[in-house]
Amino acid sequence: MMVRQIISIFLLLFCFTANAQQFLAKNGTITFFSDAPMEDIAAENKKVSAVFDAATNNLAFQLKITDFKFSDPLMEEHFNENYLESDLFPKSTFIGKVIQNKNGKATVEGELTIHGKTNKIKVEGLLKQENKKVNISAEFVVKLVDYDIDIPTIVMYKIAEEIEVKVNIELKEVK
Amino acid sequence: MKKLILFGFVLLSFSVKAQDDLLNMLGEDDEPMYISYLFKGTKVVNGQSVELPAKGVLQFTIQHRFGTLNSGFYNLYGLDNSQVRLGFDYGIKDYLAVGIGRSSTTKTVDANAKIRLKRQCKGSKTFPCSVVFNSAVFIKQWQYADAQLESFLLTNQMSFANQLLIARKINRDFTIQLSPTMVHYNLVERKDEPNDKFSLGIGGRRKITKRLSVNAEYFYQLTDKVNNNVLSFGFDIETGGHVFQLHLSNSPAMIAPAFITKTTGNWLEGDIYFGFNISRVFTLSK
Repeated sequence: MMVRQIISIFLLLFCFTANAQQFLAKNGTITFFSDAPMEDIAAENKKVSAVFDAATNNLAFQLKITDFKFSDPLMEEHFNENYLESDLFPKSTFIGKVIQNKNGKATVEGELTIHGKTNKIKVEGLLKQENKKVNISAEFVVKLVDYDIDIPTIVMYKIAEEIEVKVNIELKEVK
Repeated sequence: MKKLILFGFVLLSFSVKAQDDLLNMLGEDDEPMYISYLFKGTKVVNGQSVELPAKGVLQFTIQHRFGTLNSGFYNLYGLDNSQVRLGFDYGIKDYLAVGIGRSSTTKTVDANAKIRLKRQCKGSKTFPCSVVFNSAVFIKQWQYADAQLESFLLTNQMSFANQLLIARKINRDFTIQLSPTMVHYNLVERKDEPNDKFSLGIGGRRKITKRLSVNAEYFYQLTDKVNNNVLSFGFDIETGGHVFQLHLSNSPAMIAPAFITKTTGNWLEGDIYFGFNISRVFTLSK
């Protein structure tokens, strides 16, 4: 009995040590851009939080939809009200794992949730660990249809069916 | 053996929990969640809504009101008879907007300022409604000959409206607004007529689809009710950069001193005025 308790305490402690190499960010940047015939649609979110566990290679991102800022307030209204429905789905998340990392060129696989819909995605990008920092950058394409974001037929500006997403985040070691 | 099972169990629980923990580490933010977009436009129908043009945005509105629907085919059910108000509204700050406009029939120029005092929010901070103060001045234009008369007073051309707009988005499709209003007329028609007239506006919006909503608005006159109360319905259709609004009302007026106390039309008798607004926004500064 005694031995088992000691072992379990030891194992619990082990868990903590495994957790130790974690990196956190609270104000990463995610931008998106889409080419549309009438107007380009672009927005920037500078309040993306992210966490990376170097021991397990687990990676997670989280952002608030309303933190996406547009140069055109009307576009921002339509983005929140009609497309992303930020009152119903206030957050977007990614939970995944770094499955390969060759000199900073990394492949990440996981589940991306936007507009309440979750899809498995695989993204190639850069993940570099230097001193007590981890830099993550990636570019990928999101298809609106995959996330049930409907494109209306009667709008003045046409919405592209695919948007380019850019991720740029610097994470700092958690002490 | 038991040790092995325990070891395996601990490892398992760790690996299952790890991803959830990762998200938990990001934590819940403690910013209040502000409720936005209570109405599609800056007006419910004729009266002001709690919405302001965003900061740096200029909104140009063309308002049309036709004659009554019961005026017969000879007048094409009112369409022959039209009046117009052109208006500009500009968002100086997120909480402050100003506007000017001119109505054709009454030849009245109006200017107003809207200040948002409170925003409906939930989360770490909660407030049940959005509160906006609107103040407007109306000046009736005069001709040179009028101004030569000894009895002419510039102040007699002016009237004012002050209102508190209190709105709550009850759910994502339904918003209700109360608008206690005081209209002040510098010049009144009767000797015993009060210069200050109080009324209570009640309005609402019901979204039908993402881009279509039905609005309704009623002003109940509390003091010196001589004419009818105004009841209006509006249909807001959003088409990207434009908001297109179709209206039915028993008043053809588009400014508060006229439609609140000077409405003569009666819905039951078919004195229904059709009208529409088109507004377009221009982003002037970021």
